[in-house]
Amino acid sequence: MRLLLVEDELEIQTLLRNSLQEAGYEVDVAGDARHAEQLAMESAHDILIVDLGLPDRDGISLILSLREMGVSAPVLILSARRSVDDRVKGLEQGGDDYLTKPFAMAELLARLRNLLKRNTPATGEPTRLHVQDLELDLLRREATRSGQTLQLTPQEFVLLEYLCRNAGRVVTRSMILDKVWGMRIQPDTNVVDVHIYRLRGKVDGKGQPPLIRTLRGVGYVLKDR
Amino acid sequence: MSSKTANPVMRSAAWRISLWATLAFACGTMVVFAFLHRFVASDIRQRTDAWLTGEVEVLGDVAEHTPKDALYDRVVSEVAELASNEVPNRLRSEGHSNDLVFFLQTDAQGALTLWVGAGRGEAYLDAIRRRPFKPDEPQDLPVAGSDAPYRVVALHIDDGSIIYLGLSEHDELRVLRNLRFRFFTWWLLLVMLGFVIVFYTTRRMLSHVREITEAASRIGHTELDKRVPVSARNDEVAHLARTLNHMLDRIENSVRQLHTMTDALAHDLRSPLTAIRGKLEMSLSAAAHGEQAEPIVAAIDELDRLTEFLNTSLDVAEGKADALRLSKSELDLEELLRGMADLYEPSMHEKNLRVRLTARGPVRMLADAALMHRMISNLFDNELKHLPAGCTVEFVLETAQEQAKLTVQDDGPGFSQEILPHLFERRVKGKQSSGHGLGLAFVDAVVRAHGGSVAASNRKDGGARLELVMPRGLAAENAEPRPVIIAIAGSGKP
Repeated sequence: MRLLLVEDELEIQTLLRNSLQEAGYEVDVAGDARHAEQLAMESAHDILIVDLGLPDRDGISLILSLREMGVSAPVLILSARRSVDDRVKGLEQGGDDYLTKPFAMAELLARLRNLLKRNTPATGEPTRLHVQDLELDLLRREATRSGQTLQLTPQEFVLLEYLCRNAGRVVTRSMILDKVWGMRIQPDTNVVDVHIYRLRGKVDGKGQPPLIRTLRGVGYVLKDR
Repeated sequence: MSSKTANPVMRSAAWRISLWATLAFACGTMVVFAFLHRFVASDIRQRTDAWLTGEVEVLGDVAEHTPKDALYDRVVSEVAELASNEVPNRLRSEGHSNDLVFFLQTDAQGALTLWVGAGRGEAYLDAIRRRPFKPDEPQDLPVAGSDAPYRVVALHIDDGSIIYLGLSEHDELRVLRNLRFRFFTWWLLLVMLGFVIVFYTTRRMLSHVREITEAASRIGHTELDKRVPVSARNDEVAHLARTLNHMLDRIENSVRQLHTMTDALAHDLRSPLTAIRGKLEMSLSAAAHGEQAEPIVAAIDELDRLTEFLNTSLDVAEGKADALRLSKSELDLEELLRGMADLYEPSMHEKNLRVRLTARGPVRMLADAALMHRMISNLFDNELKHLPAGCTVEFVLETAQEQAKLTVQDDGPGFSQEILPHLFERRVKGKQSSGHGLGLAFVDAVVRAHGGSVAASNRKDGGARLELVMPRGLAAENAEPRPVIIAIAGSGKP
């Protein structure tokens, strides 16, 4: 996967490049719009990360001119601004995504994966999910572990489904709030932790190896091996 | 305009203004006419009286010097007849001049001696006898059987007899009646015409004012770049519009300044926060899980809290200046509340708190979804943080016409009296509060930005109550009034 990162702040640029390379991306880095256009012309990229506040030009006009140049790869827009520009909303509807600074690396990676998945033709939705000895029947909304049915509330099932779909990858609290409850909020109480705690009580029974792991300061992960 | 029913027209300022203006005009002209009428009437009276006194002297002279023989009656009659031809103010079209004038003579005993006039003299004499007559002073005399009173003057002759000369006021009254009739016809026409003119002019003028009002109210704080229409004329209304536009210029400028400032602040702080967070995450993944990781985890949590504090405090700052930017879309407040109750239920249960949500079905409204989510989450956070174990929080959602009303009440200790009046100000928090004191200020900012209001009080039987009223911004729908308890969650559940 080849990725073009357009970010002018050196510190953030370095951090992102390291993390993205660690995650397996081949990263090209540009510090301004002119350089970005040059790189985009030289080689094709699977995905782009563009910061809105570039020194020479606005990030959105860069995206639009790249589109005119024939670059069709999805874009993840980074912004330190408070209000979401209408033009960003337009791009969001066009299939691109938007992330506000500061963000968790896990969330950035999850959004990149989503954008790439959107861009590849869909391979028929599975009706069952398997993670180790955990099995989810998406049609009957039933979960079993080692053949034993788990007594989950509908909400808990949705939460577990989200963790299963991201098995082996870190999900943050704000990602859970966004995807499971459809809320982009930052509660200053531990509401998500309590949900996970309850779910873990049902999924990881006595004597079974724990599946749901807490990565403190980062989020949660459902172990896939 | 014309499609409107009569009622709004009659309630309009144009209607009132034209009504009062017309009333003033009508009364004014009426007073002027009353004076004119009096003047004309007294003028006619003076001329009548002058004629009467003149003629009665001539008649007295004739009566005195004519010998009382057989010819006396005829001579006096002739003279009286002649006099009647010179009656002032008379309308020539009618030939019965004899009806208008009478001449009557009595002897010293008051018996009728001579009568010249239409009908019988006795009726006139009866009328004369009923009131004292001063000589040479004309006065009114109503006579039975006659449609108009007579103006009568008496003259004492040396032989003791009295002669009376009477002139009917029939013509005089006719002239005045005519005058009145014509005046009223013209007056009514003028008053009606005046009313119509005043009404249409004021309505036209006020319609400009109304356009300005409508435009100004539309502008609100979401369309600050719009301006009210300015008419081409250089009148007061155009002046009002221009003044309003100047004011809007200044407001827009201040709001833009505020936005530039808050945006710059957010931007300048978020970039370093991003770098710090990234570094912390890097060191966290490098550090083995254990004691080393603990302070890094705490730092990341602190940083996230700081970010949220920055966002909220900038929102509150904008909200306090009525400059919070909204991106409105249609949402269902009841669904939002239910989702939030689901989200907070386990945490509430953990603290042994109960949540009860009462609503009458969907409450659709036009609002900024992101801000509403954060606002409702703040309400739950607030209860979760401050309520002692064993209490119940109740969310009651109601709709009244164009408004949605959310009441949040609990049976906890309530707000302390010291902070109650300052509850929605920044950094106001209870002594035991661990938060940053922005929660309710943020709730207030969001509700106000949506054109609503928040009221905080303590319930009589203990506990705090918050009442949020917000306009729904949508046409009212006919939600069936069926109160249902949608969710009861808390310690009762496993």
